[in-house]
Amino acid sequence: MGRKVAFIAALFGALALVGPAQARVEVQWWHAMSGVLADRLNELVEKFNTSQDKYTVVAVAKGNYDEVTNGVIAAYRAKRPPEMVQIAERGYMTMLLSGAIVPVQDLVEQKGYKIDFADFIKPVASFWSYKGRMSAMPFNSSTPIFWYNKDHFQKAGFDKPADTWQELERQLYAIKSKGISECGTVLPGDFYWSLLENYSAINNQPYGTLANGFEGLGTEFIYNKTKVVSQVARLKKWLDDGLMQIAGQGFSPEQLFTSGRCSTFVNSTASHGNIERNATIKWSATFLPHESDINPPLNSTIGGGAIWIMKGHTPERYEAVAAFLDFVAQPETQVWWHGATGYVPATNRAYALARERGYYKDHPTREIAVLQLSRGTPNENSRGFRFGNFVQTMLAQRQEVEAVFAGQKLPQQAMDDAVKRGNEILRQFEKLNAGKTPETERP
Amino acid sequence: MTLRLSIPWREARAPVLQRRHGGGGSKAVPVASAGRSRASGKTRRREEAGLKRANFGDGPGLPTLLLLPQLLILLFFFFIPSLRALMQSVLLSDPFGTNVQFVWFDNFKALLASSDYRQSIAVTFWFTLAQNVLTLGSALVLAFATDRIVRGRSAYRTIILLPYAIAPAIAGILWAFLFNPAVGPLAQVLHSFGVAWDPNLNPTDALILVTLAASWKHICYDYIFLVVGLLAVPVSLMEAAAVDGAGPIRRFVSIALPMLGPTIFFLTVMNFIYGFFETFAIIDAVTKGGPAGATNILVYKVFVDGFVNLDLGSSAAQSVLLMSFALICTLLQFRYFDRKVNYGV
Repeated sequence: MGRKVAFIAALFGALALVGPAQARVEVQWWHAMSGVLADRLNELVEKFNTSQDKYTVVAVAKGNYDEVTNGVIAAYRAKRPPEMVQIAERGYMTMLLSGAIVPVQDLVEQKGYKIDFADFIKPVASFWSYKGRMSAMPFNSSTPIFWYNKDHFQKAGFDKPADTWQELERQLYAIKSKGISECGTVLPGDFYWSLLENYSAINNQPYGTLANGFEGLGTEFIYNKTKVVSQVARLKKWLDDGLMQIAGQGFSPEQLFTSGRCSTFVNSTASHGNIERNATIKWSATFLPHESDINPPLNSTIGGGAIWIMKGHTPERYEAVAAFLDFVAQPETQVWWHGATGYVPATNRAYALARERGYYKDHPTREIAVLQLSRGTPNENSRGFRFGNFVQTMLAQRQEVEAVFAGQKLPQQAMDDAVKRGNEILRQFEKLNAGKTPETERP
Repeated sequence: MTLRLSIPWREARAPVLQRRHGGGGSKAVPVASAGRSRASGKTRRREEAGLKRANFGDGPGLPTLLLLPQLLILLFFFFIPSLRALMQSVLLSDPFGTNVQFVWFDNFKALLASSDYRQSIAVTFWFTLAQNVLTLGSALVLAFATDRIVRGRSAYRTIILLPYAIAPAIAGILWAFLFNPAVGPLAQVLHSFGVAWDPNLNPTDALILVTLAASWKHICYDYIFLVVGLLAVPVSLMEAAAVDGAGPIRRFVSIALPMLGPTIFFLTVMNFIYGFFETFAIIDAVTKGGPAGATNILVYKVFVDGFVNLDLGSSAAQSVLLMSFALICTLLQFRYFDRKVNYGV
């Protein structure tokens, strides 16, 4: 429809060769949102399209993150990439070194927009920027938080979940032994993200050498020498004792929590929408726990996606892209998106605006993620992760953790193997990208 | 060599290329090939007499023209992609193709050295073997039973054929749900018998589950062929045996089964190819290759490494190896089993 309108408008413009009948420049944005989130995204795009009359952004749902990535790769190879694409956090290095993108900050500045990139919340900014320059526009940023069933905790005589893993473990065992709930917690589908990676950041544990890869492609995983090993052992113990359950395929962990079967659940703050809609229980949320000997805990890191700009388009189209990204970065847009979805506001200004309007008085749990992300000063263990082929290393790691759960390996051995396999994958990435520097040329 | 005629090569290969492109396109058409395997004896005689050639007149013009559509399909959907896979398998390349290095056989070497890949081979071996035995065994029993049923035979046949109409992913979800340790009714039954069933945690349970699901989905395919095969067994022979005092089971084992030889042989080949290539959706829906890689069959690994991990070189090398395995497997079957199969009636 939009394309047709643009085409007709272009035709008129060409025929008349004059006048105010200006053609709208149309650009494509491929994204990975589905369900409610996709509806919200479409609303956002609609807001932009109606806010001005020069540009039209067309949002195209291309499936999940993997499918979007594959789609954009195929399109780029066929020399027909979209102008913008939403890619998940794990794809950062692949995109950065792809030679197929235009860094966001370069483009926005070149087109004369003044987005205050210094105002982005620190772990968000550091995740998506290279050498202090933003490579992609943070869009849907989330972080894991700790959800719990209020009734279960109250019945067991606790106000709320404890701050430390040690204390929390006692609480969960108490809830189970008192017969309040059979299942203390459910293993999140993305446990590697929340319970291993974010765990490492919060508890100030290095995940890889060279500042988690920020200082070079020569980085190696070292989480087999950190508290991650005892964390895996803890999960295994919970599983063996029936304190933790696995939802399994065809069934989401979230359902086990929202139905009241499991007392707690570690999951992204972005699930606010779903939980608010589906929960039949009294729920609340709090910060992720930390180890008792780590005080104060550091910030958690982000997950989610960012908008990348693809190479190979005309300056007029990049005008449209820059205008849209400027719109996305506006505090008003950020606050709206935050409220509509549960993702965090990406800038301090947007967060302040939401606070000012008293948004968190009615929605206290929505502030947790922002507070958890922005507490303290991120150090090299909590700034984020810069590992190439990060999906592949993660899948290898998950397989090893599952071997622990199945009783085939001990935690230490499994993490040693995971690190060994992960490092082979990292070396392959290093070999492929040796001597390559990220794109800095102007469009 | 009667094989070329009795075994429909095209159908046998079709799943290979369809799976490689991810398009869940058409399946091999069972009915057509059923006729062909039965008619193999006749076809052979015709070929010997040179009748076929005479029908097309002189020169290669018309036959070539008639073959052209199929050849073009093969060219675009099999030969060109295969060639590209072969090329990609000796390259190390980033997903966007902006940086490509020629690495000789590094991808293959890395694969053969990886314990992960060896595990995948072992899993595939057990999975396809168990699936084959289970599918063929159940289909034989059902086909035999069909012969014995007088009333409601067509209803019986229709019900058995139903799973074939269900999309593999849906079938997978169905089985995953039935055997889900938390909510699945069949899992509850197992638990009540004291079986600690948990396919999310236990690798063996997971492998059993996907094997069951894959077999269930494929039984009807084998069943159609076997029912048709049984129809071809001369009634006079069966009656003679009955007169001599052989019971139904004896008649089935001693007469029907040997005469089903060509069909069973064909089905074995097809089952292996099904197990190798077409069980992808079931694995994806039921276990996603887990836990701990216990159901990570080769074709699923090709997908994950190529489309999730974006490791195109390794993924291409794996598809080349997988195709070789399928080829070797099929050739071995022809070489050693075909001689024992009796094609005459």
